[in-house]
Amino acid sequence: MRSIIFVAAVLGPGFITASAGNDVGGIFTYSVAGAQFGYKAIWPLIPIAVALIVVQEMAARMGAVTGKGLAALIREEFGVRIALLTMLGLFFMNTFTTSAEFAGIASASEIYHVSRYVAVPAALVLVFFSVLRVSGSLIERIFVILSLVYVTYIISGVLAKPDWGDVARGSFIPTIDTHNPAYIGTLVALIGTTISPYMQFYLQSAVVEKGTRPSGLLVSRIDVANGSILAIIVAAFMIIANAATIFVFNVHHPSHQITVNQASDVAVALQPLAGKFASELFAFGILNAGLFTAAVLPLSTAYLICEAFGFEAALDRRFHEAPVFFSLFAGGLVIGASLVLIPGAPLLQLSIASQLVQGLLLPLELILMLVIINRARVMGTFRNNRAANVIGWATVIIVGVIALYYTYTQVLTVL
Amino acid sequence: MGFHDGYLSTLVGRSTVIAGDESHSIGKVADFLVKKPDDTFPRIDGIVIKTKDGPRYSPMASVLDVDASGSVVLKELPVGAVIPESEALYLVQDLFDKQIVDVDGRKVVRINDLEIANTGGTLRVVAADIGVSGLLRRLGAGRIAQHLLDRIPNSLIAWDNVAPISDVNPAEVQLSVSGSRLSRLHPSELADIISDLSARDAARVVQSLDDETAADAFEHLDADVQQSIIADLGSDRAADIIEEMDSDDAADLLGELDEDKRSELLAKIEDRAYADELEELVEYAPDTAGGLMTTDYVWIFPHRTTAATIAKIREIAPETEFIYYLYVVDDDRKLLGTISLRTLLLALPTAFIHKLMDTDVVSVSTDTSSEDVASTIARYDLLAVPVLDEHGSVLGIVTVDDAIDAIIPEKIAKSLPRFVRHHAKKPAVATS
Repeated sequence: MRSIIFVAAVLGPGFITASAGNDVGGIFTYSVAGAQFGYKAIWPLIPIAVALIVVQEMAARMGAVTGKGLAALIREEFGVRIALLTMLGLFFMNTFTTSAEFAGIASASEIYHVSRYVAVPAALVLVFFSVLRVSGSLIERIFVILSLVYVTYIISGVLAKPDWGDVARGSFIPTIDTHNPAYIGTLVALIGTTISPYMQFYLQSAVVEKGTRPSGLLVSRIDVANGSILAIIVAAFMIIANAATIFVFNVHHPSHQITVNQASDVAVALQPLAGKFASELFAFGILNAGLFTAAVLPLSTAYLICEAFGFEAALDRRFHEAPVFFSLFAGGLVIGASLVLIPGAPLLQLSIASQLVQGLLLPLELILMLVIINRARVMGTFRNNRAANVIGWATVIIVGVIALYYTYTQVLTVL
Repeated sequence: MGFHDGYLSTLVGRSTVIAGDESHSIGKVADFLVKKPDDTFPRIDGIVIKTKDGPRYSPMASVLDVDASGSVVLKELPVGAVIPESEALYLVQDLFDKQIVDVDGRKVVRINDLEIANTGGTLRVVAADIGVSGLLRRLGAGRIAQHLLDRIPNSLIAWDNVAPISDVNPAEVQLSVSGSRLSRLHPSELADIISDLSARDAARVVQSLDDETAADAFEHLDADVQQSIIADLGSDRAADIIEEMDSDDAADLLGELDEDKRSELLAKIEDRAYADELEELVEYAPDTAGGLMTTDYVWIFPHRTTAATIAKIREIAPETEFIYYLYVVDDDRKLLGTISLRTLLLALPTAFIHKLMDTDVVSVSTDTSSEDVASTIARYDLLAVPVLDEHGSVLGIVTVDDAIDAIIPEKIAKSLPRFVRHHAKKPAVATS
C-alpha cells in the first residue's frame, strides 16, 4: 500500500513535462497535421514517442544521479560561452513560445466572446500571482489536474466519429508524402513540439527539486514512460479529431476548403462537423494549455538561467534578494503577453517560427546531453548504455537533417 | 617574474614562447595546477601548455615572465608529462564554473574567475570572482571594452573564506580545509547550505566535517535531507555522527528510517547505553513529550554539598548541553526535586542539596502533547521540564528550544534563521 502512495506521489514531473509538450503550439501543429494529411499523420508519433521516452529518461537520470539541473551541468562541463549561448537561445525560444501560449489564450477566449484585450491581461495577472503566491506543492497538484484536462482531446476525438480502420492503418503503416513540401515542415514541427528542448530542462530540474536519488530511478522511469505515452495518445487523438472532420470534409468538398491558421480555427471548424460540445471542449483545452504553459515556461527559464550563472533564485525570496530571477520571470511573461496585444501582430508566423526554432535547437541540446551523460566523471556507472546512445544519436541526426533541410527550403522561399 | 596580479582567465589561452626564441609560439596556456590545495592561499606549482603534440607540463620555476606582447615566456621547452588529475588540483578544469561555499556570505556560489597574486615570487590563488564582471571577462569582454568592465564592481571572495565542495576535486586530493572553514558557520546556516547542495555534494561536504560539527548541522536538517545523506555516508560514519547528536534529534532521525537501517545504525553506536536509550526514545510519537525529550540532563544525589556538585558539573559539562537545571533523584532515579545552576552558585559551598532544592516540581509524562509541554514551559517560565514515568522516575527532559520548534509551524521555523541571522551575527563572531 505504501508503495502505491509513493508511486502516486512521484507521478508528477514526467507526467507534467510531457503534458506541457502539448501546449498551444502543439495543439496547432497536431491539428494542422490531421487537417492536411489525415490519418497518415499519426504514424510518425510512434518513433517520436520512442525518442521522447529515451530523451526524457536521460534527463531524469542526469537529475537523479548528479542532483543538478541541465543548465548547471552544461555550465560545468562546457564553460561560460556555451552556457551563455544555450541560455540566450532558451530565453528567446521560451519567450516566443510563451507568446504563442498567450496567442492561444486570446483566440480561445474570443470563441467565448471575450476580447483578447481583456483575456490576455487577465491571464497574465492570474499566472503571475498564482505562481508568486501559491505554494509549490499546491502548484504541482494544480499542474497535475491541468495535465488531466488534456483527456478532453481524447473525448473530442471520439466525438468526431473517426473511421477506426483508417485510424489503425494510419497509425501503423508508414507512408511518406514526398510530393508535398508542407509535409516536411509539418514533420519538423511535430518533432519540435513533441520533444521541445525546454521539456528536458524542466524535467531534470523537477527531478532534482523532488530530491529523487539514483535508487528512486525506477519510479522516475515509470513516471516518464507514463507521461510520454499519455502525451502521445493525446496528440494522436488531436490528429484523429481533425482528420475525421476537416480532412474528410476537405476531401469531399474540393471547392470550398477549410484552412486552419491558428489553434482556435480548429474549435470553430469542429462545431458544424462534430457538434458544439466537441468544439467547446477543444477551445477549453486550448485555454488550459495556454495558461498551463504560460506559467511553466517563464518560471523555468528564469530558474535555469539563474542556475547556470549563479544568481539567487527562489520564489520565497523578496525581489531585492533575487532581482535577476524575478526580472527574468516577469520579463519573459510580460514580453510574451505584450507581443500578442500589438494590433496586427503576425501571430501565426510567430507560432510557426517558435516551432521551427525548437526543431532546430533540439539536436543541439541533445548533443550536449549525450556528451554529458557519457562522461564517467559525471555519471559514474549511470552512463548511457548502447541502446540509449543509438536512439539518442539517431534522433540527433534525423531531426538535424530534416530541420536543416526544411530551414533551407524556407530560406529559399523567402529569398 | 614580472607578473604582479590579475585574473586567471586573462592568462588562459595566451601563447607560450621559449626565452631566446620569442617569435615562435610553442602552444597555448591551458591550465594551472596546485599540489597543495589545502593552503590558505594555494600556491600555483605548474602550468599546462597545450602544444600541437598534446598537453605538456612545466613547473612554475621555468616560467620567466609574461612579456609585453602577452606571451608567457618559458626558460626551456616543457617536456614533463601532465600530472594525473588524481594528484593535483587543476584550477581551470576543477574550479572554473564550479560551485563553492562562500563561508562569509553563507551561501553556495559559482566561480566565474580566480584572482591570483605574485607573493614574493610565487603565484597564489587569492580570491574567487563570483560577479558579473568575472562572467563578462570570461566571455572575452575585456578585449572589447576593458574600461567598461572596470566600472562594474567586482564581487570577490577571499580564498580563506572559500570552502570548495570536494565534488570538484579528485578523490585523492581531500580538501580538509573545507571542513574546517565550514565549521565556522552557525550549525543552522551550515544546514541551509547543505540543503542547497545536490545530494552527492551534500554528502561530500558532511564527509569533510568533524563528527561534532556534522551532528550540529544534522540537528537542523530536514528528515529527507538527513536520510539522503545517511544513505551516501555509509553506516559507520552515520553512526558516529548520530552518536554526537542530541538524543531527541537522533531519535527523530532514527524514527524516520526503516527498521533494518535503524537497527544497523544502532548496532554501530559505540556507547551501548546510549544506543539503548535511543532505541527507547524512537518508540515515542514525535509530537509528544516522549518524542521531544532528550536524555542528556544532569542528575544529582540529595546528600551532596554544593561544592561537590559544582565540581561534578565541571566534570560533565563539556559533554552535556543543558546544565542550567539539575535534577535531584534517589537511588531509583525517582525525582525528588530540582535546583537551578543559579541557586547552586549563590549558595554556600557547604550547603546540602536537599536543603536547597525546590520540591514543588512541574513535570510532564511521555504522552503529553507537544502543545501542552510548550504551554507548561511557558506558564511556569521554565527552561526545561522533566518527563517522568508512572513511578515518578526521570526519563528525560524537554528543553524550551525543542518545545518551541515543535509548536511553531514548519514554514515559520524555516524562515527563522534568516531573521535571527541579522541579530545574531555580531555576538556569534565575538565568541568564536
